[in-house]
Amino acid sequence: MTTDQIPVSESPPTPLYITGWGVLSPLGDGAREFSEAVVQGRSGLVDVSGMFDEELPGDKAFALPEFQVRTYLGRKGTSFFDRSTSLALIASDHALKDTGLEVTDDNRDQVGLVLGTTTGSIKSTSDYSRETLTQQRPYLVNPVLFPNTVMNCAAGQAAIWHRLKGVNATIAGGQLAGLTALRYASRTLRWGDAEALLVGAVEEFSPHTAWATHLAADAATAGEAAVVFVVESGEPTAAARRRPDAEILAVELTTADPEQGAEAVTAAYARCIDRALRTAGVTADELWAVAPGSTGPGDPEEAALDGALGTASPTRLRVKELAGECHAAAGALQIAAVLAHHRGAPALDGRPALITSATREGAFGAAVIRGWHRDETDNGS
Amino acid sequence: MRRRVVITGLGPVSSIGIGAESFAAALQQGSSGISPIASFDAAGFPHRMAGEVPAFEPKDILQVLDPQQWGRTSLFAAAAARLAAQDSGIDPAELARSRAGSSIGTTSGESQVIEKLTAQWVDGGLRDLDPALVRQTPASRLATAVNRELGLTGDAITLSTACSASNYALGYAYAAIATNEADYMLAGGADSVCRWAHAGFYRLGALTEHICTPFDRDRSGILTGEGGAALFLETLESAERRGARIYAEVLGYGLNCDANHMVAPDADSIAECMRRAHRKAGIDASQVDYICAHGTGTPANDAMETRAVMDVFGETPPPISSIKSMLGHTMGAASGFGAIASALGIANQFIPPTINFTTPDPQMPAIDPVPNVARPARLRVVQNNGFAFGGNNAITILGEVA
Repeated sequence: MTTDQIPVSESPPTPLYITGWGVLSPLGDGAREFSEAVVQGRSGLVDVSGMFDEELPGDKAFALPEFQVRTYLGRKGTSFFDRSTSLALIASDHALKDTGLEVTDDNRDQVGLVLGTTTGSIKSTSDYSRETLTQQRPYLVNPVLFPNTVMNCAAGQAAIWHRLKGVNATIAGGQLAGLTALRYASRTLRWGDAEALLVGAVEEFSPHTAWATHLAADAATAGEAAVVFVVESGEPTAAARRRPDAEILAVELTTADPEQGAEAVTAAYARCIDRALRTAGVTADELWAVAPGSTGPGDPEEAALDGALGTASPTRLRVKELAGECHAAAGALQIAAVLAHHRGAPALDGRPALITSATREGAFGAAVIRGWHRDETDNGS
Repeated sequence: MRRRVVITGLGPVSSIGIGAESFAAALQQGSSGISPIASFDAAGFPHRMAGEVPAFEPKDILQVLDPQQWGRTSLFAAAAARLAAQDSGIDPAELARSRAGSSIGTTSGESQVIEKLTAQWVDGGLRDLDPALVRQTPASRLATAVNRELGLTGDAITLSTACSASNYALGYAYAAIATNEADYMLAGGADSVCRWAHAGFYRLGALTEHICTPFDRDRSGILTGEGGAALFLETLESAERRGARIYAEVLGYGLNCDANHMVAPDADSIAECMRRAHRKAGIDASQVDYICAHGTGTPANDAMETRAVMDVFGETPPPISSIKSMLGHTMGAASGFGAIASALGIANQFIPPTINFTTPDPQMPAIDPVPNVARPARLRVVQNNGFAFGGNNAITILGEVA
């Protein structure tokens, strides 16, 4: 054993809590609507044939065909926002209204954002790139739209909108974006870089994402969503005497190489799940739910879950069936689905749930959270 | 208890040199990596120079990844990480067995892949996109490529906080080791030159024509650049135990957001980020011997950066130079190259110059940009600046191991 492997005696890590959340998805506008839809198992699949001039792979998708940013935020300052930015802004607005955290001049430099993405707004980027090919001169692009091509556009605009001057991180994680953002945020809070963070992920629906999903993801149907959680370290939550929506018990990540074969990948994922459960101090038997990113048996994520759970049989929450393939927002939707069930169910108070996600390239994550219900008198309910 | 974290391996894949030795020599000599654009047809653009890396041959460096399966930016990241791991002298099998991961910054991810797909869209339609290329687009692949190349089983985090992303990544890696959640980390950033960024910066009026001249009175903008930058991090104890060469210690970092404007820098907020970095690193401004500038060479950036420096350091700030004069603006890799240059400066006792410098700016008389020629100097503490669109400021502090 090397000296680095000798466990250092440490005080238990600062507890971290979700104290409010916001979502904008075809399943609901805000945490309450979304929770009702998830608990009832409603589908977000709608007719999208009139949304764009471009041809789509299908007439239906998990999108918001009527969505217009000005309905929510007004016209002033919003006309150049792309769809990702708009969705993220609104979800973060919902989250701030759902929490007891108040952002004032006294704390705004200690409040920040950690936002997950796949490649930012691929529509903004690809449309911009297209202009360089189709304009009479390749440089005749619109300078005002240039910031929309960078992946941190949504986080930067959300910081401006809500005047959040703390850490402002964008995590390109694809399927793993939600869990990676949560892990990044956990370290950031415990390291003392921030007191509270808006943590989430966004994915927009566009002809680009619809076709990319159809062509590259086994003909899955694309969706869109933005989900944002307010995450705070223990002390502010205790001081405000608010009951949190959830405690974040563990977020663990790993990487496996698919070239090594499905068995090796499955074993690596299973070890990551074990580590998350051990860190959380939770056994598989105690889990009331598992919210996987996978859509069914046959992939290493599902096989790893079968192995790690053994004889335990927690409820499988498959929000992808209701919300579609939302890529970067998928993991955050899985967490939100767990919270959705807790929100109106005191019987589930304090019970832990497991969330897992994997990318095609072999990145994997497992998180354990335990949630509580909301009363009518609690914040934002 | 926080563990001390040091840099023991460097992996620059840059326009002025590939590998720590050739990069260090180029910094000492004040080489320029700027050349006529070859990665896309720039004929229709009024400005046609950039800091490309034509010498980059992925297959010469990579041992695991198949270059056909990955986009150029992932290959930059993985190659830089491979070089950094080799430079550290760590046993590759030991590294793969350990608690090790990566955090990689980027601005535009697989921009060249996206541009190829856009061309397919223009030529045919969205239904004609090549699925294999579509699968190469997620920016998360950058860090995954690093882990796959080195067989790492830990975190693979791609931070896309634009042009300060490498400093975000370095801060994350440092904290991961300091808190005993990882024993080795590869941190840095990667980006590729692309047409849309060239066009966008031109239309913003931020793109210069031939050479980039930071802090010069007549500076007129950036040149886009590319490359991969990676640093190998471990605990001081582990480095000493295996007798590794230590370039520098990571003392801390500071992050904040202007929350004010997407593209215009904010001097007060940048100054606050500097103070935050100093506080976190446990140093006073007076201890900083050199500032590796964000120094893009736009009139606005260099003026605001100078204002912030004067605000924090007073009338006689330490020397501040911009390696973007040599590399162009390598976007998400920029502060990674800055960190490598800072580590080399500490280890080899020199300050990299700001090349192409001719005329001091009368608006910034206190600025010593280390004009044109590298300067011998003992550097105990170095501040490495990174700023970005979105008001994302990130500053890392490196130091001599004391």
